[in-house]
Amino acid sequence: MSFFPQGSFFGIGLIGKSLDAYQLAENVTADNIANVNTPGASRQQVQFAQASPIVGSPGYAAHVAGTVGDGVTVSKIQRIHSDSYDSMFRGATSSQNYYSVQNDAMTALQSAFGDPNAGVATQFTNLQTAINQMVAQAGSGQSASVRANVLAQAQALTGALNASSAAVTQQKAQTLTQAGTLVTKVNGILDQIGALNSQIRASTAVGDSPNTFADERDALIDQLSGYLSTQTSIQPDGSTLVSVNGQALVNDAVVYHLAAPTVGTDATGSPVFKIDFATTPPALPSAPGIPLGSGQLAGLQDLYNNKLTSYGNQLDKFASGLADSMNRVTEAAYDQNGQPGTALFQPIVGTLQISAGNIKLGITNPAQLPLALANTAAGSLVVPLNSANNIVDTSQPLTGNGNLADPPAAALAGTLTVTVDGAAQTFAYSTAAGGNAASIDAFISSFNASHLGATASYDATAQRIVFARDPANADLAHRAAQGANPTDPTFTLVDSNFAAATPATSLLGVLGAGGIDGVVQNASNAFGANDNGGANALLATFSTTIGVPALQTTSAAAAVAATTMNVALPPGVTNIAVGDVLTIDATTGGGAPQENVVVSAISISPVTGIETVTFTPAAAHVAGFSVASAPTQTLGQTYGNIITQVGLDGQTVGAGTTAQTTLASNIDAVRQGISGINIDEETQNLIKYQNAYQAAARTMNVLDQMLGTIINSLGVGQ
Amino acid sequence: MRIATSQIFEHQTSSIDNLTALQQQYGDELSTGKRLNMPSDDPTHIAQDLSLHTQIAQGNQTGDNLANVSAELTTVDGALSSVTDVLQKARALAVSGASDALTADQRQAMATQVDGLLGELVGLGNTQYAGKYVFGGTAQLGAAPVKPGGTPTSQVTFSGNLASQSQTLPSGQSLPTSVTIQQAFNYSATNGTADAFQTLIDLRNALAAGSVADTSAAQVNVPGTSLAAATPIDTAGILATPIVADANGNVNIAISSGTAPNGVTIAIPANASMTAVLAAINAQTGATGVAAAFDYKTQKLTLSDAAGQPFQVADVASAGAPAPGNFTTAFGLTKQADTTNTVSGMIGDVDNVLQVALQARTTVGQTIQNVQSLASLQSSQVLNNTAVQSGIEDADISKVMTQFSQTQTALQAAYGTTTKLESKNLFDYLG
Repeated sequence: MSFFPQGSFFGIGLIGKSLDAYQLAENVTADNIANVNTPGASRQQVQFAQASPIVGSPGYAAHVAGTVGDGVTVSKIQRIHSDSYDSMFRGATSSQNYYSVQNDAMTALQSAFGDPNAGVATQFTNLQTAINQMVAQAGSGQSASVRANVLAQAQALTGALNASSAAVTQQKAQTLTQAGTLVTKVNGILDQIGALNSQIRASTAVGDSPNTFADERDALIDQLSGYLSTQTSIQPDGSTLVSVNGQALVNDAVVYHLAAPTVGTDATGSPVFKIDFATTPPALPSAPGIPLGSGQLAGLQDLYNNKLTSYGNQLDKFASGLADSMNRVTEAAYDQNGQPGTALFQPIVGTLQISAGNIKLGITNPAQLPLALANTAAGSLVVPLNSANNIVDTSQPLTGNGNLADPPAAALAGTLTVTVDGAAQTFAYSTAAGGNAASIDAFISSFNASHLGATASYDATAQRIVFARDPANADLAHRAAQGANPTDPTFTLVDSNFAAATPATSLLGVLGAGGIDGVVQNASNAFGANDNGGANALLATFSTTIGVPALQTTSAAAAVAATTMNVALPPGVTNIAVGDVLTIDATTGGGAPQENVVVSAISISPVTGIETVTFTPAAAHVAGFSVASAPTQTLGQTYGNIITQVGLDGQTVGAGTTAQTTLASNIDAVRQGISGINIDEETQNLIKYQNAYQAAARTMNVLDQMLGTIINSLGVGQ
Repeated sequence: MRIATSQIFEHQTSSIDNLTALQQQYGDELSTGKRLNMPSDDPTHIAQDLSLHTQIAQGNQTGDNLANVSAELTTVDGALSSVTDVLQKARALAVSGASDALTADQRQAMATQVDGLLGELVGLGNTQYAGKYVFGGTAQLGAAPVKPGGTPTSQVTFSGNLASQSQTLPSGQSLPTSVTIQQAFNYSATNGTADAFQTLIDLRNALAAGSVADTSAAQVNVPGTSLAAATPIDTAGILATPIVADANGNVNIAISSGTAPNGVTIAIPANASMTAVLAAINAQTGATGVAAAFDYKTQKLTLSDAAGQPFQVADVASAGAPAPGNFTTAFGLTKQADTTNTVSGMIGDVDNVLQVALQARTTVGQTIQNVQSLASLQSSQVLNNTAVQSGIEDADISKVMTQFSQTQTALQAAYGTTTKLESKNLFDYLG
């Protein structure tokens, strides 16, 4: 005999190994089939290898290694999984969740706003219609019900503003709560990943491949990526380093929890939603927070900071502009009884500025709705300016005009001091040829173009000049002059040349208006209760450009041309944003040095709460120049912009959700294609291993018989 | 490419989900008829849509307002039409009253008729539209503004004001909704002429033979100038018919009346001021019974006899002058002043207020036409805006119906495929 199988007892051990191997393979296949629906389960593939070949022992003649095989072993149970597709999938999942969490919120918010079928825009339209109706009917027998209707619509508008503001506030609170819940979940996931890391590391250290744990860990990281951007890096010891935009979340078994979301302040001092790591002591409100990247938490952060806060601020600005522009009209008018009007819109909490959540109706009695403006035509202080029975042609020069009762003999030059709203502004006049008061027509157009809060006109039948209070005819220069003075329904004209005995020496005298020189025009001498000028002025506010929010302040420092400067805003005005336009150094008629500047930066002081804006004026301005919001759009356009922004944001997140969902599912299809379990495949494997097992068992039978022959048939004593 | 078993089910599920969502969306559009239900449905058009809502609402309201203005102006026009009727009747009475053939009783009867017309006129002055006095200006009036005083009525007072009533459109255009009492009744006229009420009062008084007056037929001044109290009456360029003195530089006149049948000569130097002229004539009132007054507003001279006695005025040459001056011509006086001539002179006054009322009617008529064209412009704008809004907001029903049925078909196909795909696998064939 030259050949003995050694070490395997006649080959039975060899076959025994294969039985083991195939039994293990069946187990693995069974495990795969069991986990066909388990999310994140990767298929495990058995890798067979030939067992180490028989090597000759020192006592025998040497056999060449590798000539006799020793059966089959399972070298490895391979987990089929592609890590690169994992990171693609996680990126898409993050984005999908980033958009879908916002999509739900934006849909809810748009329903709460109600536009275009209900909501602020509808109520605003109703108010305009009611005022338009009032313009037609005030002074008639139905005026009480028409006025009541206007107040009802104004009330509805404040209600809609309050509701929209509350919707934004509620959505913000909900965002915080939702994020808080998610943070708790995230912390739980991080803990689990940490625990799995230790187990995997321990297992790898002894040479095992902990495939199930790896699957679990990957599934958890997939879940985590739905909440924030995750980057992973597998360490040599088998653990995974999980980080969010460079900051570690799980490092081996060490877990860095997230703290509950808070509202801190950004570099400009504005409130921002942020999430920090849970540290002791907790992070400062001014600390920048974790850069969340994408995922639900980042989506909620974007929703809060870039959408909800912005919408809230813009709604507040709209409410502020609306209240200011309408209040300026109602406070400049008289009600039916000659009482000065009060503000139509007032804050609910008097110590705070008017905002969308802090606005209510200030006039509740329809009889107190002020609609009459002081008008000299209703009184008798201004007399006809014609001589005898002559008719004055208002386009003809005044000097030496025989049709005038008191024509000036030579050109007059002087100033009219117009006192409106406590501000005395001057209108310099000249009746010389080519001067701004050369004729009555010239005077009227140049006076009105000065926007002083009063308007001049001419009644041809009565041959009288008419001066009327006109809040719609005031410009930013007038507002700057008014400053903090309350709006007032009266007006006073003083002619610098006026002398009662010689009317022909002053413009007012020539115009037959000497009787009002220095006399305050008010409800006692210039008032007609059925004058509807106030209603007309209210209607005009809807087609006038208004600056939002209502801002009127001055700069303590002078401005140097092309040099950046800061101006502190009054307390309570904190919603001017970068990019807003301000009008500075307002001038009568809007000419130089008035200019518009763009806010380039803002900063809100954490101590005083005062906002400071930064801009670069093109020209130099003297210290104390006025600063106001630039009137660039009507109120309707302002609100339209807010809703357009909401619509665009809603459309973006909706489209993003759809696109990213499709992308994520496509990537997952490819990923599953690699690592997913297919029943048909596993069935084939089942059959394959079963056949191999049966063959091995048969072989063992044969070997057993052969051994039996040797044992029973060979040898001494038979 | 490998397909994991779980993927087969997931893929079908998401397809069916998507189709169901799409079907839901089309279903919503069909049931509401609108494709723009939320700003995110069409953010590029939402601002325009909101603006159109407002414009349409305003357009409709403005249309109502214009109809209201039209109705009010029609009321005013009706009142003015009645005013012109009344004044024309008064004119007819004045014409027939200016006849020598009438007796005092007949004239008295006419005076009574004029009084009746005056009452009508006062009523028209208090015309109301929807509870508002249309001629009252902007004053708050608890009672009618035009009030007659005295028995018989000797004056009419007005408690409103002269501010005009108007209405502003959203476009900023201002429309007058009425006319002032000044425009309709010549009240407080700037050329000093009497208002319609005073004219009728004066006509009635003249018919009742209360007074006789000789008034300048027309204003004596050149328009653009005026004769002041201290100005010499022969100043060049002031009188429309210049004073031409007699050879002695005088423009004397002689007045004769019942008390002075032979006439009293009044010496008037050509360069006398109006004050001096009046003083000269009034110095002789005791003798002649005739007093003089000059209305500096209307620029007319009036000689009157309070007792209602007729009188005559004539130019006379001063001593030694061959021909007299032209005082009576320059001042438009008639030679014979009696009730007939007085009443006849009042026809001009009635004509004056009639003209004013007609002018007011013309103004109102023009405004009504203006309002009508504004109203039709307004309604066509509303129609246009509604069409644009519909284009933005409304769903294209036929298109959505097609999409809906397409989606339904796809959904049914997806259901069918799902059950087929998921029913069999190799496992079923294991021995």
